[in-house]
Amino acid sequence: KSLETFYGIGHQHSSRILAKFHIFPGARLGALPTKTVTAITAELSTMTIETDLRQSVQGNIIRLRDMGSYRGRRHAMGLPVRGQRTRSQITTARKLNKVAKQN
Amino acid sequence: MASPACWKCLSRPSPLQMTSQIQLRSATAAFSTTTPVFNVVKKKTAAGKLIQSKAGQAKTLRLKKKAPVKMGKPPAPGERKAMRKRVVLSNTNALAVPGMQDLKKDIVGNLGKEFVGRVLGIEGKTVDALRAAEAFKPHQSWCFFRRPGILIREETIVLGEKIIDAEKEGGLKLVLDGDRVTGKSLMLVSALAMAHVRGWIVLNVPEAQELTNAVTDYAAIEGSKLYSQNTYTASWLTAIAKTNAAILDKLKLTQEHPEVPIPLPADITLTRLCELGARDPEISWPILQALWKEMTANGRPPIIMALDGLQYISQDSLYRTPDFKPIHSHDLAIVDHFLAYLSGEKTFPNGGAAIAATSRSHAPTSKSMELAIRKSQERQFGGRVIERDTWGRERYDDIRAIEAFRNDENLRSIEVFAERDPWEKNYDARSDRALAKIETMKLAGLSRIEARGLMEYWAQSGLLRKQVDEKIVTEKWTLAGNGVVGEIERGALHMRI
Repeated sequence: KSLETFYGIGHQHSSRILAKFHIFPGARLGALPTKTVTAITAELSTMTIETDLRQSVQGNIIRLRDMGSYRGRRHAMGLPVRGQRTRSQITTARKLNKVAKQN
Repeated sequence: MASPACWKCLSRPSPLQMTSQIQLRSATAAFSTTTPVFNVVKKKTAAGKLIQSKAGQAKTLRLKKKAPVKMGKPPAPGERKAMRKRVVLSNTNALAVPGMQDLKKDIVGNLGKEFVGRVLGIEGKTVDALRAAEAFKPHQSWCFFRRPGILIREETIVLGEKIIDAEKEGGLKLVLDGDRVTGKSLMLVSALAMAHVRGWIVLNVPEAQELTNAVTDYAAIEGSKLYSQNTYTASWLTAIAKTNAAILDKLKLTQEHPEVPIPLPADITLTRLCELGARDPEISWPILQALWKEMTANGRPPIIMALDGLQYISQDSLYRTPDFKPIHSHDLAIVDHFLAYLSGEKTFPNGGAAIAATSRSHAPTSKSMELAIRKSQERQFGGRVIERDTWGRERYDDIRAIEAFRNDENLRSIEVFAERDPWEKNYDARSDRALAKIETMKLAGLSRIEARGLMEYWAQSGLLRKQVDEKIVTEKWTLAGNGVVGEIERGALHMRI
């Protein structure tokens, strides 16, 4: 559902939010009563999503680098962090393991 | 595409030339009539690009896909769904069967052995009512015939007798079971048609999975553990009003209904009551309860409630509570209402029937329901008799039977009663309780007389263009696994070779 378009909400969280407000998974957003939509917005604002989440993830990576840890160095070099092989298969690491903003 | 060796087209190449050109051709059909030597379609290298990836990696050919051209008017919203779900009940290309009797009130009361194998037509008013109740399903083959008709099987006669008996107080609690395509849903149609013709009020839930699939909205009912399904109830009320318009138009409100939030005018017909509920889903459930109270008041006609897909309501639904626990199907208000009558917890004061059919094509397995059906069959026909077959192998499907046979070599047959498997975890306690006292009717293949009657009806309608004699009846009957109706239909009607 469209709840999952928020960064930080996937299938688990969206199902739980829907269950909390008695919304079935196939519901259309336009068909929901306004007070339910407001309640969901309130619920979402209590969770870390979107910018808050991105900043916290970024902050974690910067912290790792600044304290000189192995993981931080791997992020800085754009190499696999989790102990994978570097002889081959590192395109994803090259693309995603950055210290700068995560997309 | 015409074959290359077509004698009519002199411009076509010879087969020898064709085979050598096949590798050069693309996968698209040849619309051009020029010979393939001059008509080689070039590969799409012009459109593609060779992309040099990062150092050390292979070149890749990235072909740009052309976006499909949208032509024509897209269908209106809801049109595709309507096309999918449409039910065609009449086909003017089919012949009208001469001498086809209709299912009438007195016939239902007097269905005797002479009716076995006959196909009785359904009257126009009943057809309209059942269409509104969604008793006819799109995948059934009503569209081949001139008018809808039902085959009278021995089981239909038994069902007719049970319906007549159920007109007194108490009511019938029946489950229709049987293998895939043995005619369970059609037996439900027969039951609904017979009830309607006798003047009963008809309620039908065509697909139980629509209730438990989490495809309609749900809301908790305050003050109880149940959940109502408002949009479904509203559309159900429309269907009930339309199906039973003839009866409900003449009945008026006789009681007070405090549970309905809106003020009800004192003198409205029950049809109007249904309309009020259908208009506003928020109050549809209280209105359905009010309608039910009215319909079960004194002097009102008997009620038949039918449901197709018993397995879906014998387990958890796909809905969740706010605590994210699954909601059991029995906690859904409509299901709870139906099961109250199927389980015998409540009885119909003016007579009535609660009939459920199982679905064997792709429904989930419900161990509790299977056990309940077996036990019910044993209550009706005695314990299962286990026999040794001609090769001395025992035929059993019960653990106790195996042990008994192992212990006593001289046993020819014993009676074994189905018991709960002590190691099985997937029983559903609530279904066990709800289905403890049901009556079952197990449908199997047709007898040859019934098969012959059905095939003669098809032949008279102009669909089966063969002489219907013992040979063809036996052939189709045997190929259909000893007379399974759906397979006979597939073999004789659908596969028109």
